[in-house]
Amino acid sequence: MSVPILSVRDLRTSFFSQRGEVQAVRGVSFDVAPGEMIGIVGESGSGKSITCMSILRLLKANGRIKGGEALFDGRDLFKLDEDEMRDLRGNDIAVIFQDPMTSLNPTLTVGEQVIETILRHRRVTRTQARQRAIELFELVRIPSAAARLKSYPHEFSGGMRQRVMIAMALSCDPKLLIADEPTTALDVTIQRQILMLLKELQTRLGMAVILITHDLGVIAEVTDRIVVMYGGMVMEQGDVRDLFARPRHPYTQGLLAAVPDLRDDTHHRLTPIPGSPPDMAHPPEGCPFAPRCPHAMKQCVAAMPPLFDGARCWLQHPEAPRVVGVNMVEAA
Amino acid sequence: MATYVIQRLGLMLLTLFAIVTLTFFLMHAVPGGPFVSERMLAPEIEASLNAKFGLSDPIWLQYLHYLRGIAMFDLGPSFKYPGVSVNQMIADGLPVTLRLGLLAVICVVALGVPMGIVAALNRNKWPDTGVMLLATMGVAIPSYVIATVLLYVFALKLGWVPTFGLDDWRGYILPVLALAGFWISFVARLSRSSLLETFEQDYMTTARAKGLRPGQVLFKHGLRNSLIPVVTVLGPVVANLVTGSFVIEQIFALPGIGRHFVLSITNRDYTAIMGITIFYAALLMVMILIVDLLYLWLDPRIKLSGQSA
Repeated sequence: MSVPILSVRDLRTSFFSQRGEVQAVRGVSFDVAPGEMIGIVGESGSGKSITCMSILRLLKANGRIKGGEALFDGRDLFKLDEDEMRDLRGNDIAVIFQDPMTSLNPTLTVGEQVIETILRHRRVTRTQARQRAIELFELVRIPSAAARLKSYPHEFSGGMRQRVMIAMALSCDPKLLIADEPTTALDVTIQRQILMLLKELQTRLGMAVILITHDLGVIAEVTDRIVVMYGGMVMEQGDVRDLFARPRHPYTQGLLAAVPDLRDDTHHRLTPIPGSPPDMAHPPEGCPFAPRCPHAMKQCVAAMPPLFDGARCWLQHPEAPRVVGVNMVEAA
Repeated sequence: MATYVIQRLGLMLLTLFAIVTLTFFLMHAVPGGPFVSERMLAPEIEASLNAKFGLSDPIWLQYLHYLRGIAMFDLGPSFKYPGVSVNQMIADGLPVTLRLGLLAVICVVALGVPMGIVAALNRNKWPDTGVMLLATMGVAIPSYVIATVLLYVFALKLGWVPTFGLDDWRGYILPVLALAGFWISFVARLSRSSLLETFEQDYMTTARAKGLRPGQVLFKHGLRNSLIPVVTVLGPVVANLVTGSFVIEQIFALPGIGRHFVLSITNRDYTAIMGITIFYAALLMVMILIVDLLYLWLDPRIKLSGQSA
């Protein structure tokens, strides 16, 4: 892999509330290569969004990055001062949020919201910025772009609003785009359009994209690599094809078993993963997935497994017993 | 837009008509009259006075006469002050009342909103606690108590400002503060809670994620949205401040309309009561109309009926 555009190393983020410290992210590491699209999957509370908000340093007031580094273009984002960080946001690193209904300011025209981003980061006149906004609207295929600049967010449909968000994010040619569940709040028919638009733009503009989602179908279609998160940690990461063909972590296997396969006509039921995610105010000492894992061993509860070539599971240990079937473990 | 304003003005006329009618008949339903007092007038003098002011006419005729006057912006003569018309009374008192009211409104906006901003930006830190303490006191303590305390401290003890009268600008300070105290506090609390709510909105995160500077985030994205509830109360506030100063006018002995209003009620000065009531009602409705128009500008989601989305 070439020199990564973003390299997250041992990121730790916590939130402090009356309940005490909630360790939302507990030592996450991953790389993003220039022009690459990676997917971060995990269920709600797995720490995937918090990871990205940490990279942008846009945590809520009670959140704090406790450790680790995020090297972007060779600079540690966590060591920049707030001014330098602001110069990066919306410029080199842009972000699209989940809900385009609430992420656009209802009292400003969409044009203004795009133009102000351009004016913030580029030395251009208002007219030039406006021209650029029209081009961006055309790029994301908003019909009659010039006229729609004057519209307010409530005058758009959900899909069109997400296109506005994308146009806004692309306005300063970011090297890295973080898309936090960009299709979750949209109608199913629109989801695919937006996803394909993102993929097309990523290829065309050659930017790196981190796609956060809980939808494996979304990931399979557009990303190159996957990072699977659970309990604030990376459970498994790897090439998208390898991971779908040979998932090594029981959590990844569980996620894949829970995805409907339309080509399968055996009519078997989807297999849910029993149990619920760990309480991050009191994270377990061992593997966070152990209480829900069909293959859990004593060792899993006792100690945190290290990453064995991309999978954080004791079963990957050379001396571990081999899983031959569901709930059947053969002595090594 | 123009049609909307015209419609609203039409409705205002209807409302005014209802107010005139109600006030007129209610007032006449109360026993007594302007020329009934402790010192009994000779019956023939009272009768001739009544006749002179048309009070011996049947009540419907008096009503029609009054309506005709109003239609020509004539609120009639004062019964108590011979030779003075109600129009004149209002014109005499209005400048003082209006100046007092508008200064109070300016204070409410210019002090209340920034106080709210400071408190919200320093949530749970000392500036927040200080502002909220002050604002809670301002809401809880009635204006006449504030007025008296202010007078005692700043006029009597420190001698910085005069105790009464409006001979120079310093005379306005205490009345305006006493008048605006409640609403400054109210608006400070309202802007604080409204801003804090706005800070939680997703679009505020978007604004920061675009790399906008804190000032841009606060003023362009935050303030406008959080001012919407503030503007909502501003209409009644303006009306309240402009019309509600009669207690303050009494305490500081200021020659505004408020004093005439109170006196005219005790005097049963029919035309003066009617005139001032109508004038205040009209003022209130105009203020509410202005606020509604301001609203349209602040929040583009509000559409006028008849205008397509």
